[in-house]
Amino acid sequence: MKQQGTLGALKHDITHRGVTAWLLFGALLAFYFILYFPDKFGEGAIVFGASDDTIKSMKAFGDKLNVFEHFMRWLGGALGYEVKKWWDPVWNKWTLYGTLYTGAIVGGGAYMISKYKHNSYQVVRTIAIMCTQIIFGYSLPILLGANGYKDYYFSYFWPLKIEYLYPENLSSMPLFLVLYGVLGALIFVPIMAAFFGKRWYCSWICGCGGLANTFGEPWRHLSNKSEAAWKFEKYSIHSMIIMALLTTGLVASSSFVGDASPGLQKTATVVKFLYGVFGVALLSGAVGVAFYPIGGTRVWCRYFCPMAGILGLVQKFGRYRITVKKDMCISCGMCSKYCEMGIDVRAYAQRNQSFVRASCVGCGLCAEVCPRGVLRLENRSDADPQELTMSSLLSESYKNEPNRKAV
Amino acid sequence: MMHYVIIGNGVAGIEAAMTIRERHDPDHARITVISKETDFFFSRTALMYAYMDMMNREDLEPFERGAYEKQKIELVRDTVTDLNAETKTLTLEAAGQMHFDKLLLAVGASPRRVPFKGLDKVKEGVVNFVSMQDLDECERLTPSTQQAVVVGGGLIGIELVESLAFHGVKTTFLVREDHYWPVALSAPEADTVAEHIRHHDVDLRLSEELDEILVDDNGRVRAVKTNLGNEIPCQMLGICIGVVANTRWLTDSTTPPEVERSICVDRSFKTSLPDVWAAGDCVQIDVGAERPLVETIWYSAKRHGRLAAASMLGDHVDYKPPLFFNSSKFFEIEYTTVGDVIRVPQGTKALWRTLPSDPHVSQRITFLPEDNDRVIGFNMLGSRWNHRILEKWIRERRSLDYVKKNLAKAQFDVEFGRTKLQQMKEEEVAA
Repeated sequence: MKQQGTLGALKHDITHRGVTAWLLFGALLAFYFILYFPDKFGEGAIVFGASDDTIKSMKAFGDKLNVFEHFMRWLGGALGYEVKKWWDPVWNKWTLYGTLYTGAIVGGGAYMISKYKHNSYQVVRTIAIMCTQIIFGYSLPILLGANGYKDYYFSYFWPLKIEYLYPENLSSMPLFLVLYGVLGALIFVPIMAAFFGKRWYCSWICGCGGLANTFGEPWRHLSNKSEAAWKFEKYSIHSMIIMALLTTGLVASSSFVGDASPGLQKTATVVKFLYGVFGVALLSGAVGVAFYPIGGTRVWCRYFCPMAGILGLVQKFGRYRITVKKDMCISCGMCSKYCEMGIDVRAYAQRNQSFVRASCVGCGLCAEVCPRGVLRLENRSDADPQELTMSSLLSESYKNEPNRKAV
Repeated sequence: MMHYVIIGNGVAGIEAAMTIRERHDPDHARITVISKETDFFFSRTALMYAYMDMMNREDLEPFERGAYEKQKIELVRDTVTDLNAETKTLTLEAAGQMHFDKLLLAVGASPRRVPFKGLDKVKEGVVNFVSMQDLDECERLTPSTQQAVVVGGGLIGIELVESLAFHGVKTTFLVREDHYWPVALSAPEADTVAEHIRHHDVDLRLSEELDEILVDDNGRVRAVKTNLGNEIPCQMLGICIGVVANTRWLTDSTTPPEVERSICVDRSFKTSLPDVWAAGDCVQIDVGAERPLVETIWYSAKRHGRLAAASMLGDHVDYKPPLFFNSSKFFEIEYTTVGDVIRVPQGTKALWRTLPSDPHVSQRITFLPEDNDRVIGFNMLGSRWNHRILEKWIRERRSLDYVKKNLAKAQFDVEFGRTKLQQMKEEEVAA
C-alpha cells in the first residue's frame, strides 16, 4: 500500500503511472521535441530535395520552434557582452541540455549513493557514472568548444554515437581521435565486455545508462517483465543493430565511391538523416528519457540501443553472469520487480539456475534488493546455459516425451 | 487419464503440480489445483514488500498468469468441504463434487490463536500476517492506526513490525523470551538484532507478554495490557505466535486421514488414506524418530511438494531432511544459518567472531572439541555467505582450523563489498 499523507500519495502517484507520472511524461516528451526537432525541418527539406521556398519556410518554422537556442542567446546577452563573447562557441542549447543532464546525474547520483550506501558496488559504480559525466560528458566537450575545437565525447563510441565512424567526420579529426574512436568501438569496448560483461560500459560509463541509474532510479521497477515484451525486445534490438550497421555501411561506401554514384550518395544522405531523426532524436532522446515515468528507465537501452545490442551478444559468450545460490530463493520477486531491463530474474533464481542474459546491464540492483542474498554478479570462465524462452524455464519436458504414460 | 487434484496453491502445491506436468503431458495427466485464498499462486514471503509499497499484488506471483494455461494446470477458486477417499470424491462449496485419482493435501497452516483475555470482544484491529486476506486487512487498518503492538518473537513478527515502522506507525514489539528469536540466535546475536530493531524506533520489549486486549465502544482494539501491568495504547494488534496445520475440515470429513497436530505422513508423503498424499506446512513426517518431523519454512515446503509429486508418480521416495539451512533479514541485517548452532550436543564450543568497525557483522561457528574440532554449524549475521559451501564443510567433517583458513571462499558479498575477515576479532566461547 502507498505511504500516508500528501507526500506519500504523490510519491506513489509519480512512481506508479499516476496522473503526475503522465504529466511528467508529456513534459519530457515536449522538452525533447523542442530540443531535437527544430533543426530537423530545414535539414529534412534539403535531404529530400524540396524546393528552395519550402526549405526556407521549413527553416523558418524550425527556427521559431528553437526556443532553447533563443533562450541561451538571450541569457548570454543578458549576462553581458564579455561573458557572451568568451563562451560564444558553446553558448547554445546543447550546453543548456548538458547542464541539465549533468545536474540530473549528479543529483540522482547523490540520491543513489545515500540510498545504497551499504552496497559498495552501487557506490563505486555511481561515482564512476558521475565522474564520467562531469568530465567526459560535460566539461571536456565544453572546454574543447570554447577553445575553438570540435567537441568530442570520449565516453561515447560507435554505434551509440554513430557519426563517430562516418568517414566524413573521421577525415576532419586528428589522428589520435580517429584511432581512439575506431579502436575503442571495434576492439576495446567488446573485449572489455567479453571479460566483465557489458556492464562496464552500460552501467559505469554510458551517459544514457548513467541518467537511468541516477535520475531514473525511482522508476526502474516499471519495466515490462512479460514474455511478450521479451519477444518484442529480441526483434527490436536486432533490427536496430542491423539498421546501425547498414547506415554506417551506406554512408561509408558513399564517401569512398564519392561523386561516381550520385544515386548511392542520395540514398546514403536520406538514410543517415532518417537514422538521425528516428534512431537518435526520437528513440534515444525523446522515447529514451520521456518514457521513464511510464515505461521504466531503460527503454532505449533495452529495446533499441545498437551498442547495447552488440555488447549483449558479446556478453552471452563472455565471462559475466549472475550466480544463483542454490535452493535459497524464496520467490519473493523483488529481483524481477527492480530489474530495469525487464528480466524475470526470479524465474532463474527459483530454479537455481545461474544465468546470463544479453540484455543484462549489470546494474546489480537484483542482488541488492534480494532479501536472502541469493544473487551475485560474477565474472567467471565456466559457462552457464541460457534458456531461450520463459516456457522452457517452467520446463515443458513432457512435450519431448509425449507418449510417456502416467502411472 | 489420471486426474491429479491438489488442494492448496501455496509453494508445496504448485511445486507438485509443476513436477507432475514436467513428466506427464496433458493427455495423460489432468491437474487441478484448488484454493480458496487466491486465484494464483503467490509468494507468501513477499507479503511485507507489498505492504511496504515496494511491489504490487501481481508482482507477488512467481509465474506469469499465462503459465498455468500453457502448462495445462486448472486453477479452481473454491473451498473443499469434504473428502471421501473410498469413492475418491471431494465436495466443493460452490462446484459440488469432484472426482480424483490421486490427491495431494497441501493445505498449509494458519496463525495460531490463543484465547487471550478480551479477544472475544474484539470486532476490529487484531491482525495476522500470513494470508493475502491478512495483507488486505492490514492495509485497510493502517490509515487509522497511529500505534500498534505486535506479539511474537519470530520471523513473521519482525516482518510485520518492519512494515508498520515503514508506515510511521509507532510500534511495540512484545517478545515473551528474554532475547529475540532464541531458537535460532545466541544471546549476543539477539542483542545485535534487538539494538537494530530499536534503532528503527520500534519499542522492543523482551520478557513481556500480552495479558489482555482492551477495546473501545465500537469493538476496535484501543490498548493491550501486558503481564507486567503496562497498558500500551494501540489501534492494531498483530499476533504472530506461530502457525497450526489446517486440519479441522479433514477431521470432520467422511474419511478423515490420520491427524495428530498435523496430517500424519510417512517418508513418501503418503497419508493413512489410499491415493492421498500430503505435503508442506500441514504435515508431520514419521521419520522413525521419537518425535515426528515438522518443517514449516518456505524451503521445506518446496522440497515436500516436489518429492510428494514424485511419490504420486510412483517413484520410490524416502524423505530425509537435508542439513538444516535458513536465511532471513532483520530490517537491514542479513542472516544465514547452516547446521546446528543453538540446539547442540553437550561440550560444543563456538568461535565467536565480530567486526569492530561494524557491529552488525558477526559469525558464530560451532564445533566439537572432542571430535577433532569438527565444525557443526554456522550463524552468519550482517554479510552474505554461500550456504552450499558451509554445508559442504559440515558434511565433509572439516575442522575449525580448515574452516577458518578457507572462510573467504564461502563469502558471497557484492563486488567491492567483501567483509574484511582479517579485521575480525575472535574468541572461543561455550555454546
